[in-house]
Amino acid sequence: MKDYRSIFWDTILPRVQKPTRYSGNEINAVHKSHQTTLVKIALAFPDLYEIGMSHLGLKILYHIVNQNESWAAERVFMPDADLEKIMRDESFPLCSLETVTPLHDFDLVGFTLQYELSYATIIQMLDLSGIPLYQADRGDRDPLIVGGGPGAYNPEPLADFFDFFIIGDAEETLPQVLQILAAEAHISREDKLRRLAGVTGVYVPSFYRDTYDDGRYMGTRPVSEDFPPQVRRAVVADLETADYPTDFIVPYGGIVHDRLVLELFRGCTRGCRFCQAGIIYRPVRERSPETLQKLAKKMVSSTGYEEIALSSLSSGDYGALDQLVEELGREMAALGVSLSLPSLRLDSFSGELAQQVQRVRKSGLTFAPEAGTQRLRDVINKNITEEDLLKAASDAFSAGWTGVKLYFMLGLPTETDEDLHGIADLARKVVKVYRQAGGKGRPRVTVSTSVFVPKAHTPFQWVGQITEDEMMRRTQLLKNEIRGGGLQFSWPDAKTSILESALARGGRRLAPVIARAAALGAKLDGWGEHFSFERWRQAFTESGLDIKECASMGFGEDDPLPWDHLDSGVTKRFLLREFKRSLDGKVTNDCRENCLGCGMAVLLEREEKKGDCHHESMDSLC
Amino acid sequence: MRVWIHFVKDAPLRFLSHLDLMRTWQRAIRRAGLPVSYSAGFNPHPKMSFASALPVGAISDEEYLDIQFSESLSDTEFTRLRETLPKGMTIVSWRPVPPETPPLMSLVFASAWRLPLSQDEQSAAAEHIRLLLAAETLPVLRQGKKGEKTVDIRPLLLRLEITAAGELSMLLRSGGDGGAKPREVLHLLHLEHGELRLRKTGLYLNVGNCLQSPTDVGLKEKEVLIDAEKNCYQL
Repeated sequence: MKDYRSIFWDTILPRVQKPTRYSGNEINAVHKSHQTTLVKIALAFPDLYEIGMSHLGLKILYHIVNQNESWAAERVFMPDADLEKIMRDESFPLCSLETVTPLHDFDLVGFTLQYELSYATIIQMLDLSGIPLYQADRGDRDPLIVGGGPGAYNPEPLADFFDFFIIGDAEETLPQVLQILAAEAHISREDKLRRLAGVTGVYVPSFYRDTYDDGRYMGTRPVSEDFPPQVRRAVVADLETADYPTDFIVPYGGIVHDRLVLELFRGCTRGCRFCQAGIIYRPVRERSPETLQKLAKKMVSSTGYEEIALSSLSSGDYGALDQLVEELGREMAALGVSLSLPSLRLDSFSGELAQQVQRVRKSGLTFAPEAGTQRLRDVINKNITEEDLLKAASDAFSAGWTGVKLYFMLGLPTETDEDLHGIADLARKVVKVYRQAGGKGRPRVTVSTSVFVPKAHTPFQWVGQITEDEMMRRTQLLKNEIRGGGLQFSWPDAKTSILESALARGGRRLAPVIARAAALGAKLDGWGEHFSFERWRQAFTESGLDIKECASMGFGEDDPLPWDHLDSGVTKRFLLREFKRSLDGKVTNDCRENCLGCGMAVLLEREEKKGDCHHESMDSLC
Repeated sequence: MRVWIHFVKDAPLRFLSHLDLMRTWQRAIRRAGLPVSYSAGFNPHPKMSFASALPVGAISDEEYLDIQFSESLSDTEFTRLRETLPKGMTIVSWRPVPPETPPLMSLVFASAWRLPLSQDEQSAAAEHIRLLLAAETLPVLRQGKKGEKTVDIRPLLLRLEITAAGELSMLLRSGGDGGAKPREVLHLLHLEHGELRLRKTGLYLNVGNCLQSPTDVGLKEKEVLIDAEKNCYQL
């Protein structure tokens, strides 16, 4: 066998930029002999090391797999352009970081699907590995390619490239998958997939077929009765007892989020109607403050990190946040470790809390009103008022901040120019609050915007994105409005959001588009220097599709949706009800107050919970 | 308690930059649970610095960390630190230094380097060395913050030879602005690609024309003295 390791270290690494990101020998990286392992998985993040290493899911799975002596997990990322060129020029295959083993020698290659802009990169990584791109072309000796993460809730554009997907919490499903593969190493690929299809959360796209009637999409159905019409997602029922990594790998060079991440809870009950995470990570599952404190201490002593991010979808909703921040903050400050709270709703923000978390170092603050008027915030069910924002800003300025970032989405359903004027208006009021709070000079109030991308499994899944002309017009309107006096405007990247929208709700006919875009050179599309809209437009056109139409296309209530055969646990009926309420401008309360009958309780099979669901009362609300 | 730690940076970590190395030490110290002192101010930093910067890609037998702890440390604690360092970084020794001692960085005078050469390289390099040592001046162009400037590195070459083992051996002035960079000398010797085979084998302070390593020099209050019983390289 070729000694990939010494070739890589002696002849390739010395020629690339930032070689430490490919060295694989960071503290807490796990190196196992492949002689003694029964099954090996390469955990692939289709972006650069600096992005991928910042991702919590990768750390959780790496830890869980490597805890088992007979399994091995290693990491692989997309190489940067200089290394990619060397690899292609010198026919050096894509290898894992830890043992420099080519990807095609793994039993399983798992890609995380975090954002649509990474899809072409997946194709590039398969290509660099010499693994056949299409699952139909792979043989018994090729690894199985699996995808997971939020993108797996509508994986249809990628279905032809993957052997299977894991829908839901992979820490629940992946161990079952590895057990089957370890026990059944020598059966055929097809038989393996049949066995895997029986695991909750596993979706094998080749066992399902998209059907059409006269060119009209009619749904995706199982090819035989062996497979369920809907694949149900996997759920970790209890986070408190679920394994959590304390042995984070410690990169040498700076990565995007170079810190420890402590997951307070999973799921969110707020019910913002644009938010996919708010649906697919239901229900809320918390860890106790005692467990979190224990984890934090262990994490610091095994990594030496200087910062811990308290993470969740909305950390202000954590039941015992004040207690946790107070106690943990004190304990960590003594070790020179600071806390950060990256996901705080502005109605949970207080000056006191801010000072607690900023005990050691002070970082930037972002508030997300999402929309400029109360009417539109009601449509999206954000349930935040202008008063909330101004109070949070005032608190922040009094606590010593001199700048805040305000985040908004452009092109939300029913948005009018009045809502855009509302954005500028809010920003100006925040500047005024700065002066009232006694701030000196000018504050830095940055209005940061992105274009709304409708997502599968959300109440807005039926609506199309606004057109590019509208994006331009609305951006220009904001540019004219947000000027001077401590205000800054960071406008959205319209072109990437069009691509995201076209891929996010697409079906299987997008597979050739993605393959073609990659062949034209698409990769790392989240990076401005790599992204080319023209390349993607061409790839769509060559497949007989129009990228802009795909992005702005809406669905009818009765239309089958390309992801209907994937069960997030939340019913389509609930999503539709929420959609209709949004158009009527009706808000829906946080479901901790009253179960809204979204369907999750049924999925969890908690008999006692089902009684709390008030389906009837909710239905009568419509 | 202020300490100079002598450590080795070996092949697995040769690509770490100066900043990477600093981060790696800070985290190792926190893993070992050692009480490092912090600077005061808005963004407190641990009080630690390296004696000199090592070029990315080079390995070194002679790296030094000058660090201030808020308490006295025992051997057990240093052992704990030694054990938590990444593979490729080894603590050779450590010595407490008086608090008044100037920063090690400011005391460094010279560093020694070795580079293994092939047969072909040896004969070519021998000729280049002869020319270099014969030259009156060796102007080198440097990119500074305020644009380019020319520096004469001839007086900074203290020794340049090929050893019996066929290695290039260099003793260069280093520290602050007054040093020659190994890369500059390799460039003049037409050994541009040699940087990745470079090994730093010595780091010296200068006490009355005697070069001695930070491990060996005598330290008394603010003074740095020769320890006559230890190795000394006479200039």
